[in-house]
Amino acid sequence: MPGFALEIENLVKIYRARHGGLFGANAGEIRAVDGLSFTVPQGEIFGLLGPNGAGKTTLLKILSTLIQPTSGRARIEGIDVVAEPLEVRRRICTVIQETAVEMFLSVRDNLLTFARFHGIEKTEAHRRADRVIDLFGLGPEVDRKVQDLSGGFRRRVQVAKVFLVNTPVLFLDEFSTGMDPILKRSVMESLRAEAARGRTIVLTTQILSEAEELCDDILILHKGCQVARGDLNTLKLLSQGVYEIAVTFDVLPANTENEIAALHPLRSQISGTTIELALKAEEGEAIDIVGALAKKGRVLHVEIRGASLEDIFVELTQKK
Amino acid sequence: MSAISAMLYRESKIRATNVTFVFWDFCYPLFNLLVFGVGLTAAFGAPHSTAGFDYNSFFLAGVLGMASFAIASNSSWSFFMDRDNGIFYEMLTYPMSRAEYLLGKLVFNVFIAAAQAVLTIGIGAWALGIRLRFELFGVLAGAIVIGTAGWFFFYTILAVKIRRNDMFNSVTSALYFVFLFFSSMFYPLGPLPAALRLVAYANPLTWEIDLLRYGSIGLGDPHALVVEAGGFMAFVIVCFAYAVHSLNQE
Repeated sequence: MPGFALEIENLVKIYRARHGGLFGANAGEIRAVDGLSFTVPQGEIFGLLGPNGAGKTTLLKILSTLIQPTSGRARIEGIDVVAEPLEVRRRICTVIQETAVEMFLSVRDNLLTFARFHGIEKTEAHRRADRVIDLFGLGPEVDRKVQDLSGGFRRRVQVAKVFLVNTPVLFLDEFSTGMDPILKRSVMESLRAEAARGRTIVLTTQILSEAEELCDDILILHKGCQVARGDLNTLKLLSQGVYEIAVTFDVLPANTENEIAALHPLRSQISGTTIELALKAEEGEAIDIVGALAKKGRVLHVEIRGASLEDIFVELTQKK
Repeated sequence: MSAISAMLYRESKIRATNVTFVFWDFCYPLFNLLVFGVGLTAAFGAPHSTAGFDYNSFFLAGVLGMASFAIASNSSWSFFMDRDNGIFYEMLTYPMSRAEYLLGKLVFNVFIAAAQAVLTIGIGAWALGIRLRFELFGVLAGAIVIGTAGWFFFYTILAVKIRRNDMFNSVTSALYFVFLFFSSMFYPLGPLPAALRLVAYANPLTWEIDLLRYGSIGLGDPHALVVEAGGFMAFVIVCFAYAVHSLNQE
């Protein structure tokens, strides 16, 4: 029976906002994390979602011992992040949001230096480095200094490092930034494999399809507070009555934009001759709307779907 | 211990990527001694209150003190580079304490300081005829280590607390002027005006240089040096504690 990798109790982080000027006069407080409580079982891929400024990165900073909470408790594998930060650091590996690499070292030396900090013996470090170099397609660049590589490759090096070590918990703050789709898919498969081995992966992302595909469990944050929590099906239940409608015409009918706006959709988009909208409605209403749209021109394609994670996210965070 | 050796490995790897850095690290105090020491000796001869020591001998401790100050200043710039590269924050999540992080960097700096000192003292003795007091080398070695430590921790506090490069530059330039010129680095303190002498005696760099001077050529009052050594140790401990605290506040 797996225990909890993360236990968060009434966690609060307040930043003091500062004005400009030489000493930065105090200008009030920002509650970046506001009374969060949740647990994450071991071996789970856990997604933290939220709009910019929701508190995701602050939460990861607290959990990875970069900053201390104002109040509340957070435990990683049963160890308190404030009382025993070093013990926590021995159990975690973190990909921070910003690119973090040793610019003046080669790709291989970046990996070997990181391995050394994690106490991996030299021969083993070389063996593991060769494996992740293959996994991340870094072979042709392995002896180049990282400062001479593109932003995407720098990010690869940064993310590759977490596959060198066997810490029980991984924190990934928007790990796929700058990665091409093929590499991203391969990394996502590797993350699933790591979770299957029992590692707990906590990730933040702005790419909701990524969370939809990867996460066993999702927490949606807004202004430092939890607005929803559960697996994808649970979240969809929270957002029952949200439909995504896509209608493609041979020629886009006139005045469509105003008519769509009058429906007060959660979001809408017109691209070419296709209208896409997500809206909260009864099932019959959704069908009526499609019927009304179909009378305006020759329809080539119609699609009605239940809510996607993106719709749920928009609805929950806007409602809040 | 493995965290400290990992940090030492990391610092060495980075420094080894630039031969200019390595050359300048090792030769900086020696060049100062050869240029300032030889020039001032030629211009003014032995200052009268240095009890018969020529200026090269007197200035040897000054350049070693200047070197520890410069190593600390250079190291503190690496905090800004690491911040820009993001690696600073990532490293703070590695399995090591903040104290180990600092001590790892310090050990690297002590190696640089020791190499500088061997080169400077060796060539100073051979080429400039500086007569060294070998029986006091324990004091000299101790002064090099604690001198390097004190200024490294002091500059770390500034680099962590001051987040803007331009502000940091202004502050360190001002400190460079105050600490170096209001100290016993370039001249004996005895003939100075009373106010300047008072400031110089309150300057930890003076305490370090007086220890280095005693350890290298035996010049100095051992009783006063005990007080200065105690003062400098207190400076090291306070700076270390505050540097760790500052990193914890990051």
